[in-house]
Amino acid sequence: MRIFDPHIHMTSRTTDDYEAMFAAGVRALVEPAFWLGQPRTSVASFTDYFDSLIGWERFRAAQFGIRHHATIGLNPKEANDPRCREVLEVLPRYLAKDGVVAVGELGYDSMTPEEDEVFARQLAMAVEHELPALVHTPHRDKLVGTKRTIDVVAESGIEPGRVIVDHLNEPTVAVVAESGCWMGFSIYPDTKMDEQRMVAILKEYGTDRMIVNSAADWGRSDPLKTYKTGLAMLDAGFTESDVDKVLWQNPVDFYSQSDRLVLDELPGFAPSKETFAGNSVLRGGGNT
Amino acid sequence: MTGFRLGYGTNGFANHRLDDALRIIADLGYTSVALTIDHHHLDPFGADVSKEVDHVANLLDRLELRSVVETGARYLLDPTHKHHPTLVCDEPERRIDFLNRAVRIAAGLGADCVSFWSGIRPSTVDEETAWRRLRVGVAEVLEEAAALNVPLGLEPEPGMFVEHLSDALRLREELGAPALLGITLDVGHCVAVEPVDAATCIRRAADLIVNVQLDDMRTGVHDHLEFGDGELNLPATLAALTEVGYTGVAAVELPRHSHAAPVVAARAIEALHAALVPANPEPSAGTDLEWVNKVDHPWLVEAEQKVRRDPAAIGSLFPAVGRKVGRAPLRPETDPQGLVHGTVDDLARTRLLAVLAAVLPAERLSDELAQLYRYGDDAERRGVLRGLAALPASTVPTGVELVKDALRANDIRLVAAAMGEFAAKHLDAHSWRHGVLKCLFVGVPLAAVSDVDARSDDELLRMVADYAAEREAAGREVPTDAVTLLEARAS
Repeated sequence: MRIFDPHIHMTSRTTDDYEAMFAAGVRALVEPAFWLGQPRTSVASFTDYFDSLIGWERFRAAQFGIRHHATIGLNPKEANDPRCREVLEVLPRYLAKDGVVAVGELGYDSMTPEEDEVFARQLAMAVEHELPALVHTPHRDKLVGTKRTIDVVAESGIEPGRVIVDHLNEPTVAVVAESGCWMGFSIYPDTKMDEQRMVAILKEYGTDRMIVNSAADWGRSDPLKTYKTGLAMLDAGFTESDVDKVLWQNPVDFYSQSDRLVLDELPGFAPSKETFAGNSVLRGGGNT
Repeated sequence: MTGFRLGYGTNGFANHRLDDALRIIADLGYTSVALTIDHHHLDPFGADVSKEVDHVANLLDRLELRSVVETGARYLLDPTHKHHPTLVCDEPERRIDFLNRAVRIAAGLGADCVSFWSGIRPSTVDEETAWRRLRVGVAEVLEEAAALNVPLGLEPEPGMFVEHLSDALRLREELGAPALLGITLDVGHCVAVEPVDAATCIRRAADLIVNVQLDDMRTGVHDHLEFGDGELNLPATLAALTEVGYTGVAAVELPRHSHAAPVVAARAIEALHAALVPANPEPSAGTDLEWVNKVDHPWLVEAEQKVRRDPAAIGSLFPAVGRKVGRAPLRPETDPQGLVHGTVDDLARTRLLAVLAAVLPAERLSDELAQLYRYGDDAERRGVLRGLAALPASTVPTGVELVKDALRANDIRLVAAAMGEFAAKHLDAHSWRHGVLKCLFVGVPLAAVSDVDARSDDELLRMVADYAAEREAAGREVPTDAVTLLEARAS
């Protein structure tokens, strides 16, 4: 199984996690800029964090054979703090960087007017910098927040195919499926989605535009949830090719729209011995 | 622009008459062809084979196509068993006879070589027996090849007995490294099964390559794909062919795309042309400055003009360098991570900084430098650090601050870039010594540190000796560079 985790906060994770992820087949990931748990009070805290996402963390991941990419943006929670909003001025610098594959995480927290404005401005930046956008749905008042998200995306003029709406669940998936945006699901130990419910959604909605992530961070979460979802899919009768589509090809297709994905193997790391898509190097055959 | 000849394999035109296939291939702009001889394409068992060879030789000549002969026909020898018999099966005689015929056809066509593979080892044949059969069979075909002076290209093939480049090289060594036994390298196979990428395989096989097959593939999956559908880095692969001085046939290998051959072949040559970027500078003697002047990537030339017109443009050009000109190490054979000599993008950034220095007044230059570093990612910071030596004296104070910042980092590429020529000239003794020690500590080769011999002093040696003692006390290995440094001074 080869895995691209399209949403995971590695800054909050240990080297043991990197090793376990590599062993499970994770070869590439995207780390979205987000809230740090402790609220920030100045722009400098953001820029140091962004520098880490495009510098140190990328280097750290490379030591474990994993290609690291980031999304950069002002999260909705801190969009409400005027001391943090000024970070919007420096975002364009970061949106020009290698390995920055989307603007995000954007979206709503409490659905305030400030959040509206910051969300819309950053979608405009995505259009300007020709980047996709990663939008998350709020934890509270989720269905209303999801609908409003879809409306703001439509108004912004960004193509729905360049937007992923994340942290979806059973009540919110339909409205996003209809919108043409990509559908993201965070598989958690005891909140958001779990593997079995994810499999049920894949059965109902199919595998197109479906993205599964671990969204692992400093909270109770599991960086191997992508892998475990893959196993659950196989148990439920999905083919290896279906698993590869959801866990690798879909996120690659989505983030490739940035033209900034680098997926070459890192020097010194042997290719995965796993097979996928029902194929293996021992297919036989020969020069054909 | 390249020394090698782009071509297309006729096994990707299996539903065309051979003459038609050759004409289409030539019309599309290919200048070579990989000719798979088969029951319907120059049948080696046909009654009129010599007449047919003359006819095809004439046609190749008229179309100005260079050629290689491929022997991967599926059901030519046995209509019921694909690829049977092989060199490693119980009765390999028909395969040997076929390969000898292929050698004679190649001689008649004036082809570069005959390409062949080992075949799949049957489960009933042990490895030792298979290896012996292979040696005997190849030796026999080599006799015919020697008589007619036709090189052979052994192709490592996923799933077959000779699967990896290393297997093919080993067989060649065991046969006494015959001059006429070379390597056919399929770059897609490298993606599928080799432990290193295609460019590295090309460098490894280098002078032994007599034939190249071009196609895309995914890791672990032996499925010939169109360019862009797999994981192959096509520009880097083609650049490696140029780098090793390859001048033979490099033909697209898409044997499962015959149903749409003309369209697929047109797409392929378009992708190939797009991927043929100017090669990396020659890894040859000369000063770093000479190297700098050799990188003439069109994007870089344009970027330099933009900075000259509008210095502020560097803010958006500097981050894009890697995406536009590449990120490969300049001397991959000896310096795979680019820690010592840097990378293509490092070099391009130095060029942009040199232009910036020419157009900005001293004070603004230092400010801009600090900003580029402050808001740079790891690659941009490296670019600034490696560029410092090429900048005017007015930037030295700023440069020293940036070098010190980089030496506080734990990213070894930053540490390595910080300890170059600029640090050797301008960094104070204390900081420089700690920089050297940090290199030993984090695993940066001391080759990346400029003027080690000239700047080493007793205090540095004391520090290194203490570090070595600390490692020994912990039962850990002392880095070779540390030992070398201490021994050099002791002697």
